Amino acid sequence: MDFLKKYLYPLLTGIGILVALLVFSLNVPLNREANVIERSVLGVLSPLLRPVSRISGFVEDIWDGYIQLVDTNRENMRLREDIRGLNLRMLEANEAFLSNRRLELLLEMKKSVREPTVAATVIGEDITSWFRTLVINRGSSSGIREGMAVISSDGVVGQTVKVSSSTARVLLLTDHASGISATIQRSRARGVVKGKGEMLCTLEFATREEDVKVGDVIITSGIGGVFLKGLPIGEVTMVKRGEYGIFQTVSIRPAVNLSHLEEVLVVQRGGYE
Amino acid sequence: MSRRSVLLFICLVLASIIIQVSLLPVFIRPPFKPDLLLVIMVFIALRESFEVGAPLAWLLGMFDDVCGGLYLGLNAFTFLISFLVIKSVSDRLYADSAILFVLTVAGVTLAGFTLNLLLILMFTASPGIIYSMLSDIFPRLLVNAFIASIVAAFPGFDCQLESQ
Repeated sequence: MDFLKKYLYPLLTGIGILVALLVFSLNVPLNREANVIERSVLGVLSPLLRPVSRISGFVEDIWDGYIQLVDTNRENMRLREDIRGLNLRMLEANEAFLSNRRLELLLEMKKSVREPTVAATVIGEDITSWFRTLVINRGSSSGIREGMAVISSDGVVGQTVKVSSSTARVLLLTDHASGISATIQRSRARGVVKGKGEMLCTLEFATREEDVKVGDVIITSGIGGVFLKGLPIGEVTMVKRGEYGIFQTVSIRPAVNLSHLEEVLVVQRGGYE
Repeated sequence: MSRRSVLLFICLVLASIIIQVSLLPVFIRPPFKPDLLLVIMVFIALRESFEVGAPLAWLLGMFDDVCGGLYLGLNAFTFLISFLVIKSVSDRLYADSAILFVLTVAGVTLAGFTLNLLLILMFTASPGIIYSMLSDIFPRLLVNAFIASIVAAFPGFDCQLESQ
């Protein structure tokens, strides 16, 4: 009795461990099936689990949807900032890409011109609407003088007038005061391209007998010493021969889009002191 | 003119030139570009004294010529003549009136156009410019009048610039 009294708890503990081990070892092969104990416990608990699960879901919703909104708002602000920054970078990248393409074309034109050239950026336009001039960011300090040819990747832009040390004005070929000696590429007929104001030019002094057709390309003739021979000026858009008169009326659309000009090349040849 | 007025005038002229040469051409077509210097000149003609206003009007015209066109002195001459005409009648008018200001700007735009045209036809060899000028004059007149009406709507427009 004394022995039992003395070792009751260790004995019961050992039996308990043994039983637990037995239960475990007996259930190892039946690990995928629910036994009686499991079924009974789950059966009792399931009616209790459902409402508790709903309540915990409700609490979770409140936590995520309202209490954590302080962080969400902060995160939202940060993300908006990020989006703004990324949009800006995307715009800059697009702008850099377009600028790169324009400059590549300009570089090709620069290579094709056999005279030294200086690249310039358009920084302004004529203050009035009656004259057609541009302001570029290069002047006499870059070797530019009045009367030098200004070209872009598409063709002739005009010539320099009124040069200061850091800027120069460019008289566009569409200005009424502009005149460029020109040749029709196909028929080699000659004339003078005069400005007509609003993005248009005319070929003057082309006699009625000269072969001029709509779509003909007009190039510089090289006569006059300002422009090199063969630079594109524009395309013939209209030819009108009256019954009388010596000359025909020829309208030209400039090859260069003068309203969207950003970079130009100044050919450092000729010019007057 | 006080020192503050001189500083304000210089800033205004510089801002007008920059806006007209670099900013407006990007957004609006040439015929709808306002002549801000002309509006300033009319304001001066209606408010300032003859001694100060006449050289200022000529200078404003010179600025216009430096930043546009080929003929230096063309607008300077036109501005000076316009100033003299306005000044000769402004003493008999209520010069602080907003309507008078708008009408004067419109009138000077027309007069300036006529004078410029005459000078160009008489002294230069670009007769074709008459077509560009004629096609531009109506929008130019409206835009200048619109700018004048905005200037007239500014608070303090009816205050005198200097004590007479």
